[in-house]
Amino acid sequence: MSKELIRLQDLTMEFDGERILDGINLYFNDHEFLTLLGPSGCGKTTTLRIIGGFLTPTSGRVLFDGKCINDVPPYQRQINTVFQRYALFPHLDVFGNIAFGLNVAKLPKAEIAQRVSEILEVVGLQGFEHRRIDSLSGGQQQRVAIARALVNRPKVLLLDEPLAALDLRLRKDMQNELKRIQQAMGITFIYVTHDQEEALSMSDTVVVMDKGRIQQIGKPEDIYNEPKNAFVADFIGESNILDGVMLEDYKVKFFGRTFKCLDAGFAPNEPVDVVIRPEDIDFVPPEEGHLTGTVTSVTFKGLNYDIIVDFKGFKWLIQTTDHQPEGATVGIRLNPEDIHVMRKSEYSGMFGDYSSYSAEYDELTEDAADEEE
Amino acid sequence: MKRTNRIFTILIFIFLYIPMAVLILGSFNTGKNLALFEGFTFNQYKELFRDKDLLGLLGNSLLIAILSTATATAFGTFAAVGIHSLKPKMRKAVMTLTNIPMTNPDIVTGISLSLLFVFIGSGMLGQKQSLNFWTLLIAHITFNLPYVILNVMPKLQQMDPALQDAAMDLGCTPLRSFFKVTIHEIMPGVISGAIMAFTMSLDDFVISYFVTGTEFVTLPVKIYSFTKKPIHPKIYAMFTLLFLLIFVLMVAMNLLQLRGDKRRTQKQAKPPSRGMRTFQRVAAIACVAVLLIGSFALIATTRQDKITLNVMNWGQNIADGSDDTLDIIAAFEEAYPNIDVNYAEYASNEELYSKLSTGGLVVDVIIPSDYMIARMISEDMLLPLNFDNIPNYQNVIDTYKDQAYDPENKYSVPYTWGTVGIIYNAKYVDEADVTGWDLLWNEKYKGQILMFDNSRDAFGIAQYMLGYDVNTTDKAELQACAQALAKQRPLVQQYVMDQVYAKMEEENAWIAPYYAGDAMMMMENNENLRFYLPENETFNLFIDAMCIPSCAQEKEAAEKFINFMCDPEISGANMDYICYGSPIEGATEHMEEYLAESEVIYPPEEILERGQSYGFLPEDITRYVENLFLGIRVGKTAEEEEVQSSGSALPVVLTLAGLAAAGVFLCLPKRKRK
Amino acid sequence: MKKNKSLLLSGPYVLWMLVFTLIPLGVVGYYALTDPSTGVFTWGNLRDLSLFLPTLGSSVWYSLVSALICLVLGYPVAYYIAHRPPVTQKILYMLVMLPMCMSFLLRTLAWVGLLESNGIINQFLNLLGIPSLELIGTPGAVILGMVYNYLPYMVLPLYAIIVKIDNRLIEAAEDLGCTPVQVFSKVVLPLSMPGILSGITMVFVPAVSTFYISQKLGGTDTMLIGDVIERQFKSAGNPNLGAALSLVLMLLVFICTGIMNRFGSDEEGGVVV
Repeated sequence: MSKELIRLQDLTMEFDGERILDGINLYFNDHEFLTLLGPSGCGKTTTLRIIGGFLTPTSGRVLFDGKCINDVPPYQRQINTVFQRYALFPHLDVFGNIAFGLNVAKLPKAEIAQRVSEILEVVGLQGFEHRRIDSLSGGQQQRVAIARALVNRPKVLLLDEPLAALDLRLRKDMQNELKRIQQAMGITFIYVTHDQEEALSMSDTVVVMDKGRIQQIGKPEDIYNEPKNAFVADFIGESNILDGVMLEDYKVKFFGRTFKCLDAGFAPNEPVDVVIRPEDIDFVPPEEGHLTGTVTSVTFKGLNYDIIVDFKGFKWLIQTTDHQPEGATVGIRLNPEDIHVMRKSEYSGMFGDYSSYSAEYDELTEDAADEEE
Repeated sequence: MKRTNRIFTILIFIFLYIPMAVLILGSFNTGKNLALFEGFTFNQYKELFRDKDLLGLLGNSLLIAILSTATATAFGTFAAVGIHSLKPKMRKAVMTLTNIPMTNPDIVTGISLSLLFVFIGSGMLGQKQSLNFWTLLIAHITFNLPYVILNVMPKLQQMDPALQDAAMDLGCTPLRSFFKVTIHEIMPGVISGAIMAFTMSLDDFVISYFVTGTEFVTLPVKIYSFTKKPIHPKIYAMFTLLFLLIFVLMVAMNLLQLRGDKRRTQKQAKPPSRGMRTFQRVAAIACVAVLLIGSFALIATTRQDKITLNVMNWGQNIADGSDDTLDIIAAFEEAYPNIDVNYAEYASNEELYSKLSTGGLVVDVIIPSDYMIARMISEDMLLPLNFDNIPNYQNVIDTYKDQAYDPENKYSVPYTWGTVGIIYNAKYVDEADVTGWDLLWNEKYKGQILMFDNSRDAFGIAQYMLGYDVNTTDKAELQACAQALAKQRPLVQQYVMDQVYAKMEEENAWIAPYYAGDAMMMMENNENLRFYLPENETFNLFIDAMCIPSCAQEKEAAEKFINFMCDPEISGANMDYICYGSPIEGATEHMEEYLAESEVIYPPEEILERGQSYGFLPEDITRYVENLFLGIRVGKTAEEEEVQSSGSALPVVLTLAGLAAAGVFLCLPKRKRK
Repeated sequence: MKKNKSLLLSGPYVLWMLVFTLIPLGVVGYYALTDPSTGVFTWGNLRDLSLFLPTLGSSVWYSLVSALICLVLGYPVAYYIAHRPPVTQKILYMLVMLPMCMSFLLRTLAWVGLLESNGIINQFLNLLGIPSLELIGTPGAVILGMVYNYLPYMVLPLYAIIVKIDNRLIEAAEDLGCTPVQVFSKVVLPLSMPGILSGITMVFVPAVSTFYISQKLGGTDTMLIGDVIERQFKSAGNPNLGAALSLVLMLLVFICTGIMNRFGSDEEGGVVV
């Protein structure tokens, strides 16, 4: 990969005695698309604001190109931000907004005009120069906000939940658009979101945060396939998380049965969390299954069915295209690659049980992340 | 339902606008009485624009309003930004402080500020004139600030805080981001705050009334002092013009807002052309420049190199050039071009005394009456005169020299003399009833009797009627007088001083005790009015004399003024207007004949012999009388009061403390649970 | 950095307000507790206050009555304005505001011209063959003056609140079976309570302290506490007693606003002019 651009060292942030960030260590590479992902209140926006210079950390350092920039005010940093609700200046038109930073820097008028029209082309808003801000749609405002930041040719662009206010379809389009712009401009994007799907589909690197701490850093696939703890497993996608015991390498015991798995490096008989993704489970006739249970609820989801199955009082979510009627007895098989074993953490036992399952479960996680700070 | 509501609303609007219509109509009236439309004319407007003093007062009001609004707006806007970024607890405390002038009654704000200024200025810095232009400006800024803050704060709260971050993100320093972004967002609040502050300041009477000195007076304060006659209709003309101006301004503001709204709904904003933008900028700068230059010009005109002589006289007690009389002040200023006379008025000796003793004023010449001169001498409030500067003193008739109030004649030079009698309307009052002071106690005329609104004259009448010495210090006698006055109270329509003019001339009251000269003036305006001195009883014979108070700054100029007034020609011309007796030898020769021969002004010797002058009263008696009189005014009988004043303060103090505790408890913020 | 900035900006203001609002009140207290001629400490001024209790009582009574009349007159007007189309609203709002900008002294004088025994109203009545009425100098005239002068202070805050009431709430109430009267008493009135309270305060405070209105429109029986205070300062030459009276007046007003705050919602900066 390319060279390191920003490094956060032992960042700690406290507001009124409340610890928001707790020892964050992180580095960002040049040209990288990095996403800070986490539920609201996890500290991701705070981290972003510290990088932007709007907050000074209680302790720890921010290094930019190897130099500490803790005391550099935001207006002297080569970093620009796309704000949560765009923060476009309502008293200026599109041109005025985009040219704002260039005007402040006192660039020649001709150059400003040229750079603005270039960037308008990049974001696809040619001819919108003199539109009023409040006459634009959400998506257009979004593009103006991005253009306003990019036109200053920053080394790093910070994006604070830029798509949160858009509807689903537009959000999907903009995700592609952002990725395209990032690649076209070739600069670092640091992106904050609470939407795991967004994070997985756009990023080079995902940083999962909770309670002011980094839970896991990795490529999207790794985060999904190899979650480090119950929190990550649950936050990224759906997971059935079970108590188990690692008997020895590649052997894990849960539900009173020993299963083969692909994980190693645990102490003998170490208690662990076992993750089984709902989509990895296949139904088999009851007599062939490793486990048998009863279907308690079936919800049609379009692509698949969400089926809740009761295994000895523990309820699993199973996503399958294979319809089973409610009340049916089913069996399942678990292949070694379907089982992922994690060390016990503070999150153990908090997630992964679908006993109180309701059909709206995914909306719950989606709406919860409006305001942070 | 809807229709009744509409009719009701229309009625309320009529109610709100009728008085204004009356005033506007008054501005086109040939007569002076608001209630009597005599004929249509534009003359009042002509007179208005000829009256430099009045326009000057309006200029003063505008100057104070502009300066205080500009200062408060700038100061308040920055303060609001600061308050906005304070911690919530601190912010709440500061907002409570901000609300104090908003919730406090104006009169308390005015009094507290005037006491502060006098306390610091006169008490601590030894300043003579502690109430002046600057104190007035400070007071106006103080009560304007909350309007600005309360209008700007909500705009700051509505503003997306990310906007400021965005500006800084794009390279603005905090200060720059304020001017490039924040100011645009809060502008509507700033403007409405400024407009509110401006109108409040322009129209403020109560606070200005208490903090204003003599040198700088605003229009409302002056209007308040016009009590003697119905207000001159040129003031209604001014009101009409101001009404039109404010109306046009408001309409313009609303139109601008409407246009702004419309533009917002249009999709494509027209890019303002460069020429247009330059024009806007130039226009804005020009407006500010004009305002500032205008303000400084106004200050400059009020501050010339000339000596300013502050003269304080009774209301309408000097010829002012109206009704073909000589304008004495103008004549004096002509004779002494380097002296500029600043003329102020008071309605009673007591008012003059209060003004001087409260402090904070510069006054160079005053014209109190006899007993007040004695009191002021005893309290060291007067300066001895240098008679070398007053050669015309020789013109003073010997009878009026060396009077009891100033035995060695060191402090005073007589200005006028006169009597106190009863003025009545012959159309309503039966001649048979007109005998003595008891006319004022006659049940027949209940509700049509006016009475002096000052303790000395009111008690004097009771003393003359009951046959006591007018300078008695016997508390029992004073008690008896108080009882008599309390008995009279139900018959009295109103306690008045100079308002007697309008009341009597317009026949809204029938009987009033008043000074002979003023009676003469009223009689000129209403032929039904008569004046008499009680047949067998004593009455007040008074001398008003010119003195220089110890707060004077221009003693020499003051002496020149006094000397000028002792010129027979001037004194005579003056008496033509004020209709009193002149103490100057030969003045009668310069007076109009009918006045010189009038028995009202110059009663025959045998009647004059019954006259008694007020003399000096010790301070405790003065205060005793004052309190008795106040008791009568608020409707307490004398006996009750005696009991009260000997009572202990404890119950009152306890009640007050209880009330204070209740207030504090109630003002504490409600405890809220989240 | 942020802390310094806010202190730097608000500090001078706080200082100004302390010096020119809080300290003056202290000076008032100082005067209230000293003797007018000697300047030494005394309870005398406070003791003399008992003389003015009836005056204080009638001041409070007059201003309360005025505030209530203003409410009764102002509410329908505010309600009517709030339910006009936006442009009409603006015009009417301006028309309510306009009188407040014009000299209140002159407008009161106009009432003198209207109410006097030979005034416009009586002339009009005489024309109709009705004998003159005694209008001026009565408590009624004083209350009329107060209502007239301070009615806009009632209408404007009421309007500001009523216009914000969501029309859907009224529809919801109707939907739930309320008659128009019930809609008003159960929904509109409770929601406009903050406006009512702030309107009452804004009428009551200037009314209870006025002296001009009672001097011009009142008679011998309508001396108000404001008159007495003004008199102490401007003619009786006893600022100390005046200060004591102001202190009482201030206390009274604080208690009133305190009560209003208790019953009203404690929104920050709820003053709407």
